Amino acid sequence: MLIALVLCIMLFVWMVMWHVYGKQNPSSTTYKTSTVEFTELTEAYTKQNMIGQDNGIPVVRPEPNSDVFLMAEMWRWSPVLVLEINQAYRMHISSKDIVHGLSIQPVNMNFQVYPSYDYVLEFKPTEAGEYRVVCNEFCGIGHHTMIGKIVVIEKEEDLKLYGYENFKKAATPVKTEDNKPMSEADMALMGEQVFTLKGCGACHKTDGSALIGPSWKGLYGKEEKVKENGKEMTVKVDDAYIRESILEPSRKITVGFEQTMMPQMAVTDEEINQIIAYMKTL
Amino acid sequence: MSNTIQESGAQQEGVAVAASMNPGNYRVCDITGFKVDLSSEKLIRANAVASVISLLLAVVAALLLVFTRYQPVHLLNAEWYYRLVTFHGLNALIFWIIFFEIAGLYLGSSVFLNVRFCSPKTGWVAFALMVAGLVMSNIIILMGKADVMLTSYTPLKAHPLYYLGIILFAVGALIGVILFFGNLMIARRERTYGDSLPLVTYGLMTAAIIAVITLASGALIYIPTFLWSLGLIENIDPAMYKLIWWGLGHSSQQINVAAMVSIWYMVSFLTVGGTSINEKVSRTAFVLYILFICLASAHHLLTDPGVSSAWKVWNTSYAMYLAVLASMIHAFAVPSSYESAQRRWGYNKGMFEWLSKAPWSNPAFSSTMLAIIGFGFIGGTTGVIFGMEQTNIIVHNTIAIPGHFKGTVVIGTTLTFMGITYYLIPLIFRRKIVGMGMARWQPWLFFIGIALLSISMIVLGQLGVPRRHWDSTFSGGPFTYNFNPAVDFFWTLMMLGGTIAFISVMMWIGIVVVSVFFGPKVNGPGDMQLTLSPLAPPAKTHKGFEAPGTLLLTFIFLLVFLALFFLNWKWLAATWYVK
Repeated sequence: MLIALVLCIMLFVWMVMWHVYGKQNPSSTTYKTSTVEFTELTEAYTKQNMIGQDNGIPVVRPEPNSDVFLMAEMWRWSPVLVLEINQAYRMHISSKDIVHGLSIQPVNMNFQVYPSYDYVLEFKPTEAGEYRVVCNEFCGIGHHTMIGKIVVIEKEEDLKLYGYENFKKAATPVKTEDNKPMSEADMALMGEQVFTLKGCGACHKTDGSALIGPSWKGLYGKEEKVKENGKEMTVKVDDAYIRESILEPSRKITVGFEQTMMPQMAVTDEEINQIIAYMKTL
Repeated sequence: MSNTIQESGAQQEGVAVAASMNPGNYRVCDITGFKVDLSSEKLIRANAVASVISLLLAVVAALLLVFTRYQPVHLLNAEWYYRLVTFHGLNALIFWIIFFEIAGLYLGSSVFLNVRFCSPKTGWVAFALMVAGLVMSNIIILMGKADVMLTSYTPLKAHPLYYLGIILFAVGALIGVILFFGNLMIARRERTYGDSLPLVTYGLMTAAIIAVITLASGALIYIPTFLWSLGLIENIDPAMYKLIWWGLGHSSQQINVAAMVSIWYMVSFLTVGGTSINEKVSRTAFVLYILFICLASAHHLLTDPGVSSAWKVWNTSYAMYLAVLASMIHAFAVPSSYESAQRRWGYNKGMFEWLSKAPWSNPAFSSTMLAIIGFGFIGGTTGVIFGMEQTNIIVHNTIAIPGHFKGTVVIGTTLTFMGITYYLIPLIFRRKIVGMGMARWQPWLFFIGIALLSISMIVLGQLGVPRRHWDSTFSGGPFTYNFNPAVDFFWTLMMLGGTIAFISVMMWIGIVVVSVFFGPKVNGPGDMQLTLSPLAPPAKTHKGFEAPGTLLLTFIFLLVFLALFFLNWKWLAATWYVK
């Protein structure tokens, strides 16, 4: 009995000592936030620091010792991060919608992610390589598609390994001049950025394969079968229909995609026009 | 050792028991000598039947889940996979275990104490509520209205009737627990037992007290969540939800532990006439469970935002892990009670003759022994290591977590409950066991199956495989990821283990159903297929420690624990730095 008791006390002391001498301790820093606030912060952060995109997800290369935003949403981790080995990053991690699980592989580090709690974890990667961020808390039907990426580089040349060598920071892909309407091509470029930033790609592919939502490839101008209040009808995918689908996603539902409702997206009128321009190019 | 169950059974003649029971409402058991109130017998039967049905539902779902996660088969689609994970969790962890525990509480209070059932009508109301809850929640799940997992973390929302079903079930269970205390009060007033409660009833009382605390937490979280699902409450804070939900989810496992350990002591008594070598210490250990399990939910928040490290470390350990200590005391006291009794029966040669000459052909005995081994070596070691703040980082939400509780709840609790059922069939259902040959190796098969399943899951989790995840090839995602190639081997092992365990459960259910409904009637002690051992004789000479074999086994256990402990901390030290 005595041995058991001593062992039990040692276990407690061990945990406390690891906080003093160990290098892996869950942080105690949390900020209360709201899903809306955190989404705005992450979008602004990503837009400002984006250097390119990888499979529809923006890529950000943060400065060492800076604050980094990583957002979980149904069903993606955004942005993709390019980190440097042995440098510390203060990661602000939260969710846009429901509870998710941050799981960095293959180092196998796992943390819980809540909506409206900003968890600040200071990570210092100790090995270079390509890492994946898996979601390991059930978050709905697309849970298994929720996988993000973190790249840890030792030297600049390492970027080539991931095809990131030509990525450059550009705040906006197009220079906007006041009072001058943008060309269709510029609008489409802006639309692609909205597509990436807002995470449309988590459900809509642009290569013709259907995922959780219909693919956008060749969608513009197509005739689609939809259901409104259970009644089936055919509509033409035009500007008006796309606008309505974004603003009122559950009004007309494309046949074959009834399972998962599209969420209400926070987008401006201008952004919708850009998305439409982008869709026309696909 | 003055208050073993059979002695209190024998005391009935000297006590005015009959005054409280009308003749015709009870029978005197011709095997044990207990006065059995017929209305409590009916209630025990009903609850036991409901528990077996729940187990059947749970394991059918389990098999489909195993063959979905086993990627070469990948049986179910994503929707049905998540639906059945929810279904399996609820039926296995809640319905099967709690129905069985209610049956156990009625048995331990009414039958063992020779007392009438305080209010049979209320007992049936409790049973009806629980069945209604089971039916309601299960139907809603299968309709696809509650794909939220057992934990149903907000803001995931299920249909209101899902929460209502669980609330009904919990209210029914709470009434059952109150009836248990009612029986104890009658027994105490009418002095139907000796100086103190028999150890097994004492353990069950511990389980009942924890059940009240647990069900209160359950009400605290499920009632607001139910109102939220109806739209009457605006918002349920997700972190608060998780904190309180686990006040139900984890503490309820302590009910299982207390009930299971009680049965371990009982089986020791029934099979070899063993009693705890230090009954005071055993009782104290039960009290430790009540006192130190109150914030068990902290184990589930170790890598969460919102609570500080100081809070986590303190509340998972209370500086000295007193609940763990209690389990270690029992894990020593139960095998040592077998050893001590066996040695007094004369199996005294060497370190382990007591074990090799033990009644292994008695399925209740082998179930209990295997349950102790699995609970300690698989569930216990991983439980302590995964429950430490920092090492939790490398396992949180991975499949190692269900791997851990397959070791505790499935090998520990479920196998123990299956084992004791072999005594309930002749003594409560009054039927002979049909298929004794099969019954002898059913516990072994179950142990091997779940051990394989559980250990594979733990290894897979250590390799990073997430739990509750339909497709670990991430099809349809923007990126893909290949886990360490070793996972293929362990997936296969897990599938094999799951299949073996499934077959074993089917054998057990088959034996139980055929025996109870079609088995030959038991007409006296001659029809008893399992031994009912008399109390072991007192020791002739006292030389040295009573149970050296158990002591040696305990040291082996501690060595295994330390090896796993340092292995896990070594893995942790190899990860990125984080603070």
